[in-house]
Amino acid sequence: MDAFETFLDGGGIVEADDDMPDDYRRAVFAFIEMHANSELMGGLTERDWIPKTPGLRHKMSVLAKTQDEIGHGHLLYMVAAAMGVKTRPQMLEDLFAGKSRFHNVFHYQAVTWGDQVAIAFLVDAAALASQQAVFKNCSYGPYRRILKRIISEEGFHMRLGEDRMMRIAEGTDVQRQLFQDSIDRWFWPALQLFGPDSKPDDKLLRWHIKSERNEVLRDRWVQKFVPMLHSYGFTIPADDLFYDEATNQWDVGPIDWEPLKKTLAQGGPDSARRITEASNNWNRTAWVREALEQASATVPA
Amino acid sequence: MTGIDLAESLDVQVHAAVRSIDDPEYPGVSIVELGLLETVDISANGRVTVGLIPTFSGCPALSMIAADVKAAVAKVVGVDAVEVHWLRAPVWTANRISGEARTALADRFTVAVQLGKSAPTCPLCGSATTEQSMFGPSRCRSVNTCSTCGETVEVMRA
Repeated sequence: MDAFETFLDGGGIVEADDDMPDDYRRAVFAFIEMHANSELMGGLTERDWIPKTPGLRHKMSVLAKTQDEIGHGHLLYMVAAAMGVKTRPQMLEDLFAGKSRFHNVFHYQAVTWGDQVAIAFLVDAAALASQQAVFKNCSYGPYRRILKRIISEEGFHMRLGEDRMMRIAEGTDVQRQLFQDSIDRWFWPALQLFGPDSKPDDKLLRWHIKSERNEVLRDRWVQKFVPMLHSYGFTIPADDLFYDEATNQWDVGPIDWEPLKKTLAQGGPDSARRITEASNNWNRTAWVREALEQASATVPA
Repeated sequence: MTGIDLAESLDVQVHAAVRSIDDPEYPGVSIVELGLLETVDISANGRVTVGLIPTFSGCPALSMIAADVKAAVAKVVGVDAVEVHWLRAPVWTANRISGEARTALADRFTVAVQLGKSAPTCPLCGSATTEQSMFGPSRCRSVNTCSTCGETVEVMRA
């Protein structure tokens, strides 16, 4: 392990077929599996909103996001499966059985269109910031290359999210109130997506899978979005929010990590329904996969 | 400068402005290199009409690309008004992607381009790739695996 860590510290990149310590393989695999699961769960939620989205323009952007998220999941499951820890069907089985993790934000229900805007704006920004920090210095080559693709598409989603946010911010009082309610519901889950402060011995940092500490990424997000939401006349649902004149920084006060812990144990407000829905969806669409397999078997090469 | 030189110069600048716009999902790769630009018409009074063709008609990035092109062309000195149209013909194919853009897609995004029926090659090692399933992220892309190095490769296709 020492020689391997020296290799990683020197900027070494690990490829799928290379020898690697089992702990490293498992840590990278678990990270990619959680990312893949999150893309799939996110894509399914996004899809639910296609018929409910107001206006053709927004509907196209929801369609775009849905196809991208599912596409990211598709790529990530392939990269994860190539690591030889679990097969793709095993990963999906574990997800539908509630045995594996996906991001906290997908354990809550999006109730209104305002929630979808808040997710596109606040949550996607948090997810993008985390992915960029992994991409910057990730020692596992196949994941790093796929992340490059994913990040450039997430950048496109950010533009769509900003477009949605501006439209609702410039809307009627009713629309603005709808969005304020959504900020109140989604601000904390989005912030908790970064996780608690990184531990000093965090393996993901030591092995150059992550490049920045959770608290650094989280703080950067706070410094960007608190003033931005204020500038559009919205409030932040944090009682202890204050601006430190000495450091020119916003501070959201103490963070309650209990909701995050619950989601990681599949005990979030919407966890059970989400997992059941994803599982039912998989079963309902079995005939499509079978039909395609048969079709591809009969098409001459 | 003669009138003809001025007109030529404006044409060059308008083309450069269109070229400065990247595909929203491939930062650094111009829409012109991807084969989206079809026509540029410049009238004597500085009215510019840009004709673009979509990779496929339901592409959700169309309004964003058109807005970017319009803003860039409007900044060119001598341009009074800009219109951007999405043309129904000709139909975009992967053959419209320039060699330069194919290299950029391969080197920077590990994305291969499918030309005709032949299997696209792996951007990492140059071996043939095989399609993994009939599912892909979108109408214009499929997901392949390299038969030699095992890389997961996204493929742009018509």
